[in-house]
Amino acid sequence: MNIVIAGAGDVGYHLAELLAQESQNIVLIDRDQDVLDVISSRLDVLTICGDCASLEVLQAAEVQKANLFLGVTTSEKTNLISAILAKKMGATKTVARVQNQEYIAKGARVDFSDLGIDSVICPNKLAALEIQKLIHETYFTDVFDFEGGKMSVVGLTLEACSPLKDKSLRELRVSSVLNRMVRPIAILRNNETILPEGSTKLQENDHVFFMTNNRKKLPLKEYIGKENGKIQRIMIVGGGNLTFLTAKLLEKDFSVTIVEKNKDRCNFLAENLNNALIINGDPSNMDLLEEEGLDNMDAFLALTPNSETNIITSLSAKNHGVFKTIAQVENSDYVHISQNIGVDTLINKKLIAANNIFRFIRKGKVEEIVSLKGVDAELIEFEVHRDNQITNNPISELPLPKSVVVGGVVRNQKGFIPDGDFQLAIGDKVIVFAMPETIPVVEQLFR
Amino acid sequence: MISIWPIRNVVGFLLMLVGVMMLCCIPFSIYFEEQDTMPLLTAAGVTLFFGFFIRQFKPKTDQLAVRKREGYLIVACGWLAMVLFSALPYLFSGLFDNPVDAFFESISGMTTTGASIIEDIEAMPKGILFWRSLTQWIGGMGIIVLTVALFPLLGIGGIELFVAEAPGPTSDKIHPRIQQTAKSLWLIYVSLTGVLMFILWGAGMTFYDAINHALTTMATGGFSTHNASLAAYNIPQIQYPIIFFMFLAGVNYTVIYWSLQGKLKRVWASDEFKVYVTFILILGLAISGSILYHTSLSLEESIRTGFFQVISLVTTTGYVSADYTAWGPGTTMIFFGLLFVGASAGSTSGGIKLVRHWVFLKNTLLEFRRLIHPRAVLPIKMNGQVVNNKILSHIQVFLLLYLALFILGTFVVSIMGLDFETATSSVATALGNVGPGLGKVGPTDNFAWLPNNVKITLSFLMLLGRLELFTILILFTPYFWKSN
Repeated sequence: MNIVIAGAGDVGYHLAELLAQESQNIVLIDRDQDVLDVISSRLDVLTICGDCASLEVLQAAEVQKANLFLGVTTSEKTNLISAILAKKMGATKTVARVQNQEYIAKGARVDFSDLGIDSVICPNKLAALEIQKLIHETYFTDVFDFEGGKMSVVGLTLEACSPLKDKSLRELRVSSVLNRMVRPIAILRNNETILPEGSTKLQENDHVFFMTNNRKKLPLKEYIGKENGKIQRIMIVGGGNLTFLTAKLLEKDFSVTIVEKNKDRCNFLAENLNNALIINGDPSNMDLLEEEGLDNMDAFLALTPNSETNIITSLSAKNHGVFKTIAQVENSDYVHISQNIGVDTLINKKLIAANNIFRFIRKGKVEEIVSLKGVDAELIEFEVHRDNQITNNPISELPLPKSVVVGGVVRNQKGFIPDGDFQLAIGDKVIVFAMPETIPVVEQLFR
Repeated sequence: MISIWPIRNVVGFLLMLVGVMMLCCIPFSIYFEEQDTMPLLTAAGVTLFFGFFIRQFKPKTDQLAVRKREGYLIVACGWLAMVLFSALPYLFSGLFDNPVDAFFESISGMTTTGASIIEDIEAMPKGILFWRSLTQWIGGMGIIVLTVALFPLLGIGGIELFVAEAPGPTSDKIHPRIQQTAKSLWLIYVSLTGVLMFILWGAGMTFYDAINHALTTMATGGFSTHNASLAAYNIPQIQYPIIFFMFLAGVNYTVIYWSLQGKLKRVWASDEFKVYVTFILILGLAISGSILYHTSLSLEESIRTGFFQVISLVTTTGYVSADYTAWGPGTTMIFFGLLFVGASAGSTSGGIKLVRHWVFLKNTLLEFRRLIHPRAVLPIKMNGQVVNNKILSHIQVFLLLYLALFILGTFVVSIMGLDFETATSSVATALGNVGPGLGKVGPTDNFAWLPNNVKITLSFLMLLGRLELFTILILFTPYFWKSN
């Protein structure tokens, strides 16, 4: 597959890195030769230095042969223009990253596919939506929805009070704590991924990912051992675009306080948000945060551009008794350490954007792709679109590697957790959990 | 250096307009075979000639530009000239012995105040009476807006004048070009007046009464052709349309424009409109309840009279359908308070206007929040947009200035011999361009008995109020006359 990535910033680099590992043909375009030099010494990609919206540069990147063009520079105008140009020059599929959420709002006035942009993604908006989900369902550290929530994957950290602790999955299933609504698909223990079997015992501090067809009705109390906390007051530090979009989603349902250093930015936020309280001050100043009622907060979102500040302030917030902490980190290496250090969830915009872009890269009728943080595996949603051996045999008899789990099926708008006897049919949306090395086999099967 | 030519040019033009308007009264005086045809004709002739005369002798120099200073001077001089010349029909008709009375009636008309010194209105010749209503109608939308609409030469300076005549806190333009905006405003004004006239005519008024009341309702003026004002028409099918159109006249014309365009979302996005509707509903119901309790009126009559009187005072129209001072001392106090309210900015109403009250109220509440969160950024929003500090300070200065003028005015007329209640309410009603007051200038009394010096003071306050204080007061500041 030929992929052209315009922009070697955070998202561009991350995508190139992931894709290069899968031996795709990648061309990376950026204006900064130094950045490109560093990348080409690390990754097996072709780099071209120049303006992404220049015809000559696009020609040199052989856009006309590209299966996928990704406009992910920091400038949304460049992304939009280069994607339009790439499409006109012959690229099969084009994706552009934008900052302005107007472009992706429901009922946007312009249809971007008319212009030649197949998909417009806004990482900030995606991250904001994820934060919104986590705030509404506080005990989950991760929530991923498939088919509009018909099927979801949720993550939980087992605390000392959890009744699930020190029990094997078989025991739990027998005592029907784990019923037909839910199936554990991965356990993250000390940075190691464990694929659960009947004999696997759950431990304290395990980060467990469940597949469920009804996340709203999970018997959470039996999993966690205490009541689900109700969130009312939220403090957000940092006033960037992510904060703005997040606050816009949250301010109607919660009381939101935002702390931002820059005065002009504060004015912007105050102008464009209706209910949130905007405080002008340094987010790393704990006295200020305390004065603004940190102790009474139910959730603390650290969304400054600085990963370290975010982690440290989140930890101090935890110390002040804040129930739910979410920190944004730029560095994806930090992501797996979140549970170990005590921040509830780390949000990484690059991972979110990459998850969203990855579905264009997978072969077969891929509907959605999710990679779980710290877990070396992907959740891929395929559509069964023709009769072949998939539909002729029950799941247990399909030629799938052992590590591949058919975690969920959405049929006629209803989600099922399939057992071995389940037989797939045309039109089913199948969510498969697979390690990277087994992905080609799965892709082959669903092709 | 202030250039004189643009001032002469515009003032001359609008005097000629006034002259033409005077001619419009003559058909009535001929039809009703009154004795006022000659006085009206003479007044029109004098006005037209003077207007024509001062526009002659265009200087050859290129000092023709209308800048800020010229803008304010044009508006001030224009209004003064207009008021003086519209007193001519009263003077020439010989109905007023005292020239101050003629002047008072004319300024009360032009500023849409509606305070009258005529003791027997029904005895006045019909031509003069129509002229009285017409002055309110002209003054309602503003003579400058009319001039801008009709006078393309003003092109460049138009916006300066526009702002000087109606310096509300927000100036929404409904069209990129000021002339087109002015034309749209006048079109709405004329159409609504026409519609109301036919409704009233159909509801049983004579044609003459219908046109007079339509003119003074849309102008939020309040001159009536009857001694008893609207109490002379105690019929639902006449009073309800008047209630509704008084209400409309108090709505920002931009909002009316949007609703005519079918953009109801934008109408409802206007905070001032929401405040206006809510305020009138709450107060109207409260007063209606009080009437029902204190008098023997039926439920329907109580509601009708209650809303009539509340809307009449809030929009600064000043029509009277019942003596509101007879509904108990509490109600009287509320009606005194209403003299300070005013309807929406950008409407024909006078007074402080709701938008200023609203911004002030919001800011006051936020001030308390600021005490708790000293570092919070808490802007005031109107219609979803931040009210910037310039506008905020303008509004606060306006409110304080208004209060100061009210106190000063009361002080001055008290010295001239008025009792406290009459003094406060007459100053408030003049400054707010409402019309009736309390005490000896209450809804059933009139202003004829006041001494000359009080009449002149009140006249000045009316003009101040109509041009929203700053336009007149700026002429008394040293900054205006300095060369830089």
